Amino acid sequence: MSNLYSHRKLAENVFIEIAGVNFEDFEVGQIFEHRPGRTFTAEENRQHIMRSADLSMRNADFFYNEQAYGGEQCIGETWILTVVTALTTKTFNKVVANLGWKKVQFPTPVHPGDTVYAESEILNKRESQSRPDQALLHVKTRAVNQRGEEVCSFERRLLIYKRGLGPYESAGY
Amino acid sequence: MAEFAFASHVKVGENRYRERYGLDFEDFQVGQVFKHRPGQSVSQQDNVEESMDSLNQAMLHFDERYAAQTEWKRPLMVSTITLQRMIGLSWKTFAKKKRLLGWADLTMTFPVFGGDTLYAESEIKATEEWPSDPSCGKLTVVTRGTNQDGKSVCTMEYDLLVYKRGHAPFEQANY
Repeated sequence: MSNLYSHRKLAENVFIEIAGVNFEDFEVGQIFEHRPGRTFTAEENRQHIMRSADLSMRNADFFYNEQAYGGEQCIGETWILTVVTALTTKTFNKVVANLGWKKVQFPTPVHPGDTVYAESEILNKRESQSRPDQALLHVKTRAVNQRGEEVCSFERRLLIYKRGLGPYESAGY
Repeated sequence: MAEFAFASHVKVGENRYRERYGLDFEDFQVGQVFKHRPGQSVSQQDNVEESMDSLNQAMLHFDERYAAQTEWKRPLMVSTITLQRMIGLSWKTFAKKKRLLGWADLTMTFPVFGGDTLYAESEIKATEEWPSDPSCGKLTVVTRGTNQDGKSVCTMEYDLLVYKRGHAPFEQANY
């Protein structure tokens, strides 16, 4: 059993879904296994790289890609980092803002058809001095593919709202 | 009088010029700064689509009523949109990259909102041989993002593998 809840009771037999874990419920050393996993495809990779204004031959020209990269279609590093970060947002939903990443690594390439699963460990937590309704989390996230090979890892710092603070109930959450 | 650098076209015949992209590893030197053009505007629709495409559940990106009650009064752009745009906007200078090895640091310095326009500039911090793949060299790059007011929104330091001159099969692929 866990003390983390998915719903709040509004009235007899009426429940509203809760978004995210409160700062007060995080403890250093906890590990959260994020679900769902997510499968990457070649076409979404191509679209996301091109929408980022990258119109290079690497994505636009498959013949070039085959010549230069041996035909090995790899998912772009920016899209991997985007998805792995996004997979953590059920647990870290009370985010105020993402402050940054460090030590972002890609030990194994991700290919179209691969599915990744992420998990996050709480490295540190502390109150914010300048923002009394908010607090800082320092987390380490790692993602593995369907064979259990690590494909991405990073440390990240984010600001989250404390219990009862932030615009939840007034915004209908 | 403007000074110019690096060829944008290769002369492949009499009166015939082929467009080329990206500097070779040998062209990069520590201290060079590249201002990337064009910039790109990002919209709230980009924010919603990006969140859903990547499975990002954080409603501050796509629930405007919720976001209206935060300190910014409007949805905050997903920070991974900004980082994707920074790498994307730099493609013309770094088109001969083989891959991005990783980021040592990636700091979001100011919020980005729908309607903002992002620009990137990159500074070469280090160049190194890459013995495990001699067709490439390693660049350490710091890329800084600014918005339309010139305010810094993002700084990142990362390592790129870039093909050396003549090592990528550009000619065989008609580049």
